[in-house]
Amino acid sequence: MAIVGSRRPSPYGEAVAEQLGLELGRAGVVVVSGLALGIDAAAHRGALNAGGVTVAVMGTGVDVIYPSAHSVLADAILAGGGALVSQFPDGTAPRRHNFPARNFTMAALSDVVIVVEAAEGSGALITAEAALDLHKEVMAVPGSVFSPLSVGTHSLLRDGAGLVQNARDVLAALKVGGEVLDDPLPTPKSLGFGLRRERDGILSHLSDVLALDASEIARKLQLPIAEVLGRLTALELDGAVRRHQGGYVRALRRGKERA
Amino acid sequence: MLGSVDSCVLAGLDVRRVHVEADIARGGDGKFSLVGLAATTVKEARERVRSAIRNSGLEFPNTRLTVNLAPAELRKQGTGLDLPIAIAIALARAHKAPPPGTAFLGELALDGSVRHVHGVLVAARGLRGLGYQRIFVPAEDSAEAALVDGLEVIPCASLLAVVNHLLGTELISAAQPGADVHASVEPTEHDLSEVHGQEEAKRALEVAAAGGHHLLLSGPPGAGKTMLARCLPGILPPLELWEALEVAQVRSLLGELPRDRPLDWARPFRAPHHSVSSAGLIGGGGGLALPGEISRAHQGVLFLDEMAEFQSPVLQALRQPIESGRVTITRSGGSVAYPARFTLVAATNPCPCGWAADAVRACRCTRAAIDTYQRRLSGPLLDRIDLQVAVRRVPLETLASEPCGETSWSVRERVVRARHRQLLRQGTLNAQLKPPRLRQLAGLTPPSRHTLERWSTQRGMTGRGFHRAWRVARTAADIDGAEQIEEHHVLEALGFRLQDVAA
Repeated sequence: MAIVGSRRPSPYGEAVAEQLGLELGRAGVVVVSGLALGIDAAAHRGALNAGGVTVAVMGTGVDVIYPSAHSVLADAILAGGGALVSQFPDGTAPRRHNFPARNFTMAALSDVVIVVEAAEGSGALITAEAALDLHKEVMAVPGSVFSPLSVGTHSLLRDGAGLVQNARDVLAALKVGGEVLDDPLPTPKSLGFGLRRERDGILSHLSDVLALDASEIARKLQLPIAEVLGRLTALELDGAVRRHQGGYVRALRRGKERA
Repeated sequence: MLGSVDSCVLAGLDVRRVHVEADIARGGDGKFSLVGLAATTVKEARERVRSAIRNSGLEFPNTRLTVNLAPAELRKQGTGLDLPIAIAIALARAHKAPPPGTAFLGELALDGSVRHVHGVLVAARGLRGLGYQRIFVPAEDSAEAALVDGLEVIPCASLLAVVNHLLGTELISAAQPGADVHASVEPTEHDLSEVHGQEEAKRALEVAAAGGHHLLLSGPPGAGKTMLARCLPGILPPLELWEALEVAQVRSLLGELPRDRPLDWARPFRAPHHSVSSAGLIGGGGGLALPGEISRAHQGVLFLDEMAEFQSPVLQALRQPIESGRVTITRSGGSVAYPARFTLVAATNPCPCGWAADAVRACRCTRAAIDTYQRRLSGPLLDRIDLQVAVRRVPLETLASEPCGETSWSVRERVVRARHRQLLRQGTLNAQLKPPRLRQLAGLTPPSRHTLERWSTQRGMTGRGFHRAWRVARTAADIDGAEQIEEHHVLEALGFRLQDVAA
C-alpha cells in the first residue's frame, strides 16, 4: 500500500496522510512511501505511530538519506521493523532523473497507490500512472476545489480512481475485510477530520487548506484586529490553529493524538 | 601688532574652542606663516585670506605676518577658520581688542564675500555651551544659528561688512532669533487610510510607533511592505523641539539642512539601498568619521528593504547602535559619537524568489535555498526585532472592496497617548526598558504570566525573547490605557512573534 503526494502539502493533506498511515498501520498493512518531505513523511510517521511496518523506497543509495533532515525518520523506520529500499547502488546522490524510476518501483511494490494532494505535474502522478501500467489499483483523496494541490488528485478521481475518505475505503479495495462495506460509513467527525465546535466563532471561519489572514477574519467577524490577533494566538497555543503561508489555518487533529 | 579672535572646530558633534592670533611684525619679507597643526584645508586659508582682504579694499600687511591657531596640539580641519583669521589680521592692524564673548565662523571667497560652512548649528550650540554670547556666521547660515536660544547671531555677507561692524562705522543687525515652534507639520505623503486591508500589519505599525519597537515585515513582492513602512513616520508624534534640534544637528554637519526652513518637525525616514557599505550605514570617512544613515534616521525610521540582501557584516554592525541608541566610530583623526536612536523597519521576502507564502503563485525555490535564505536573516539582529508580521498580497479584486482604514491622524492620537503614559511612568519608551525595570514597572496579572510562560516553554523561547514579548505586551496595554497587562495583551504580543512559529 503506497501513500504518495506533494512535498509541500497543506496542513489538511498532511493530516490525512498521517491519519491514513496510522489506521492502515494499525490494520497491519505495510505502508510504502518515498521518504520525501510532506505527504511521504507524514505517511511514514502515521504508520510508525501505530506501531506498524513501513517501507521507504529511496531515489538515492540506501546509505544516502535525502533529505538529510529525515535521518531520524529513517532510523525510526528501521527500528520499527521496516526497511529502506533502493534500486540504486550505494552512494548514489539525489539526481532528478532517478526519482521517476523510484516512483515506478514504489508502484511495483504495492497493491494499491493512494495519492494525497498532488498539484499538476507532481511526481505522485507518475507513480499513479506506473501503477496503472502495472494493473494496480489507484485511489485518491479529494481536496478543496480552491486548492492547486487538488488538481492532480481530482483529475485522477475523474478518470476513475477510487475515492478515499478513510482507511476502510482502502481496506475494501485491498479485499481485506470486505464485509466492512456493509457497515455504515463512519461520520467524518468520528474520524477526527470534522469541525470541532467552535470557541468564539473564529474556528468556523477558518479553512483546513487555505490560509486566511487576521485582517480577513476581523472583517468577517466585525471585531477589532487586536482582539482577533489575541484570540488566534490563544487558539494557536491550544493547538487548534496553525500558521500557514503567512495566515492561519485550522489545525487538524493529528494521528499522533488519537493513538 | 597683535590681534586675536575666537572660533571653533568640530569633532563630530563636539565643539572645540580655537583661539586665532595674528601678529604683524615691524619688518621682514612679507611672508605669511600659519602655525598650529592646521590640516590642508586650513593651510589653504592663507591664499583665500590674502586675496579676500585685498579685494575688499583693505590693506594686507607687507611685513612678516604670523597666524597661530591655539591650542597647538589640536588638529584643525575645515574652512570655517578663514573669517576668524582675516578678522584677527584686521584687528591687529587696527590695534583693536577682540570683542568679548564673541566667536567667528565662515569661509571666504576671493572677492571677500563670506561663504557657507557645514555644521553651523552644531558650532552655535557648542559655543553657547562654552559661554559665548555672540557669533558671526555666514549670512546664508544665520537662520540655522538663530535656532539656538540666548545667542546673538550676526549674519556676515562680506569681510568688509564685518570689519565695518567691528570698527563701528556701519552696524549689521542681528538675525531674528528663535525657532518657529508653532510651525505645523505638513500632511504626510503616505496615509494609512490608503492601505487597504492589511489590518494585522497596520496594527503592528501602531504598536511599533507607540512603544518604539523594531519591526520586521515578511511577505511576497507587491504585498505592500514598502508602502506600510513609509506610513510609519506619519503615525509617530511630531518631533519635540530638542529632538528636532538633534535631527537638524546631524543634517547641519552634512550640509543637508535646507536654508529657508532649517527646522523640520517631521520624523526622518531613511531607506538605504541594500548595496550600502558599512561606512555609509553606520558612518565613516577619513580623518574624523561623518554620520551615516543610522544617524540621519535618528528620532525617525530606518527602513531596510530586502534585508536578506544586505551584506552580513553591514547588518551585524547595526547591533551595537540598536542597543545603545548611539554609535561611536574611531578613525585616524580620533573617535566621534553620533546619536542613532531610530525605529528599524526591515522587510524581507519569505524565500529567494519571494513567493513561498503566496496563495496563488508557486514558489520555485528548493528547500535548501529557503533554509539558507532564512538563516541569513536569523541570528543576533533578528533577535533584537520585537515585532514580526507576515504581510500577504491582497488580491486586486478585493482591494477595491476592502474598506478604507483609519487615517494616520487618528492612529497617531492613540500613539501619542500611549507614549505619554510611558514617559510619565518611566521616562522612556517601553522598547528601552531593561529587564529589572520591566519587572518593577510592567506588572503581569497571574493569567498573563501563565500564558507567557506556557508559550515560552511550548516554543522554546529564549530569555531575551521572553522579555521582548513582555515589552510588547506592555505597549499593547498602554495603547488600551490599561494599568495592568491583561492576558489578551500578552496574546496579542505573542501573535507578532513569527520567529517562534517557524521554529
